[in-house]
Amino acid sequence: MIASPKNLYQYRELIAALAWKNIVVRYKQAYLGLLWAVIKPLMLMLIFTLVKSFVGIETGDIPYPILTFAALMPWIFFQESASEGVNSITANTSLIKKIYFPREVFPLTAMVTKLVELAIGFLILAALMVYYQMLPTVQVLWVPLIIFYTMLVALTISLFGSALNVYYRDVAQALPVLLSLAMYASPVIYPLSLVKTKLLDERAAGEWSETLYTIYNINPLAGIIDSFQKCLLQGIAPDFTALLPGFIATAILLPLSYLFFKRAENWFADII
Amino acid sequence: MPIIEVKHLTKEYDLGTVTSIKDTLRHTLAKIQGKGTWQRERFKALDDVNFTIEEGEVVGIIGHNGAGKSTLLKHLANITKPTSGEVIVNGSIAPLIEVGAGVNPELTGRENIFLNGAILGIPKNIIQSKLDEIIDFSELEQFIDTPVKRYSSGMTVKLGFSIATSMEADILIVDEVLAVGDIAFQRKCLTRMENMINKQGRTVLIVGHNVRQLERICSRMILLKHGQVIFDGAPAEATKLFLDETTLAQLDGVRKTNNVIKPSIDTNEIEVRAIEVTTNKHIDGTPVCPLFSDFHLQVTLYVPKLIKNVEINIGLHNPEMVFMTKSSTSLLDSPIDLIAGTHTIEMIIDKLSLCPGSYGIGIGIYDRIRRPLWTGNQLIWLLIEASSEFATKLPQGTLAYMPAQWSISDGRNTIIENKNPHQPLKNMEL
Repeated sequence: MIASPKNLYQYRELIAALAWKNIVVRYKQAYLGLLWAVIKPLMLMLIFTLVKSFVGIETGDIPYPILTFAALMPWIFFQESASEGVNSITANTSLIKKIYFPREVFPLTAMVTKLVELAIGFLILAALMVYYQMLPTVQVLWVPLIIFYTMLVALTISLFGSALNVYYRDVAQALPVLLSLAMYASPVIYPLSLVKTKLLDERAAGEWSETLYTIYNINPLAGIIDSFQKCLLQGIAPDFTALLPGFIATAILLPLSYLFFKRAENWFADII
Repeated sequence: MPIIEVKHLTKEYDLGTVTSIKDTLRHTLAKIQGKGTWQRERFKALDDVNFTIEEGEVVGIIGHNGAGKSTLLKHLANITKPTSGEVIVNGSIAPLIEVGAGVNPELTGRENIFLNGAILGIPKNIIQSKLDEIIDFSELEQFIDTPVKRYSSGMTVKLGFSIATSMEADILIVDEVLAVGDIAFQRKCLTRMENMINKQGRTVLIVGHNVRQLERICSRMILLKHGQVIFDGAPAEATKLFLDETTLAQLDGVRKTNNVIKPSIDTNEIEVRAIEVTTNKHIDGTPVCPLFSDFHLQVTLYVPKLIKNVEINIGLHNPEMVFMTKSSTSLLDSPIDLIAGTHTIEMIIDKLSLCPGSYGIGIGIYDRIRRPLWTGNQLIWLLIEASSEFATKLPQGTLAYMPAQWSISDGRNTIIENKNPHQPLKNMEL
């Protein structure tokens, strides 16, 4: 378990090469190339902004478009890392059956690929910040850590999911549905502050309010999206009370997910 | 210390499809309730396989389809895990199981070299330094920046082989690689393989069907049958065993059809009623001819009505369907006209000089414009056997023993002279 990150370090060239292949293959014959990677968050940002003009969502002093874009960046990164990760083993059947290297290379590669697309998202975010005349503060230094944490969360899903998907292809079918539901359970369209105000200040659920708020935050994405927005747009440190429940959940589930993957790995070539 | 150790390796596969979630739940429930576990029918792909391979050995693994060759290689390459037993490998492995497994059609040849290098675990700087050599060997200079999806299948394979063999691993595993590309490239591959084996002293494991090719480059062969090792040793012996078994399987087939002569073309203008090898020794009804004995063949024909100017060819082929010899009536002085009725053809080959083993008889009968009237191969089988006197002295690795006369002299006296080409030299006093 501890030896494995070191082991994986030896395979960094392979992960880089496979991720590079994914990107090249995806955009090679596309005229817009890598720009396609940012079309999705941009379109969603526009739609959410439109919806918001009808229903009214309290967002404080941050302009809604940039707030939701900053939420969509980690969300889409997580969502696509997880779903590509879950499909990554079955999508590489020919390699699995013919060449050995640690199988976690595949979910990791799927994530690294998405990391490149995330980087392009940052260019758009920077442009938006210039447009809204927002200056980043020293709190930006938290961002790499937040992204790393997001990667761990995505891995928790993709390691378990990809191994199970080798046996039951239902997983890959069910995941997009679950993930799109999870988006509404995460502060993407609305900010976390809204949930916090409703539950902790207005006590909308009575005596259950605190518990409900903690349960909401077991979803690691709640804390991640909130911290991402805080560090980049508001220039304040992450809210650790919001991060903690999700962090504990990840710390418990990631090792289990990895163990499951390593045990299932032995039979990939036979079952796939 | 052996570089590869295989101990009691057994691999079982479940037959049938993967169980559904419903079945899994039901069986888990049954297990919890202590009602015993339920098992699907299992298939033993490998059954208690044991062997060790020392560094520098070149081992060929042969066997029929489904004998467990590829499963064995998969275990050596760590792609799958044994059901029981263990596989110990003390060195790095280059798995060439199906060359070009990692070739991506969208990428160019050059890009694929780097990608495949990474997949095979070759560091980028090594690939970079070997790039020219790889491109040169693949003969694809002109196309190297074209996406592989526009390559012919042969070109893809050439690329795959070139990349894979540039890898510097201790052990090279090759599956069916040699059967690819055109003849010229195949030869080039063989040379490269031989190079890697002889000069670089690498350990190589090769699996394939072309036993003759394997025999040439291997120092040892393992013959698998139904997942078990039935022979492990000298390539010539393994090859013979394998080919004999192939023939026996065919003979079984022949016997099942009650010795019916099965032509591949039959126009009903001529009928082959019997084919017989005149010999007094038979094994299970198969005629046996001693090596260097005269070979007598008798064929009985029935012709319903006159056919003029017929050409009759009779040949002997080995189990791989390579004809060792063919004799034709077209070489005779006068044309042959077959009148209506029964004819007996008698053909004799002096001093049969073919390598001991099994051979099939092929016959082709053509009319004056060379239209086939009746043709067929593997019509009957015969065995050529070396007498025990010869058997140990015969040189291996050949298909035939052409009659040769020897004379060795030291400048003044003739030390030895042998005018009888079919008797081996005696009293070799050099």
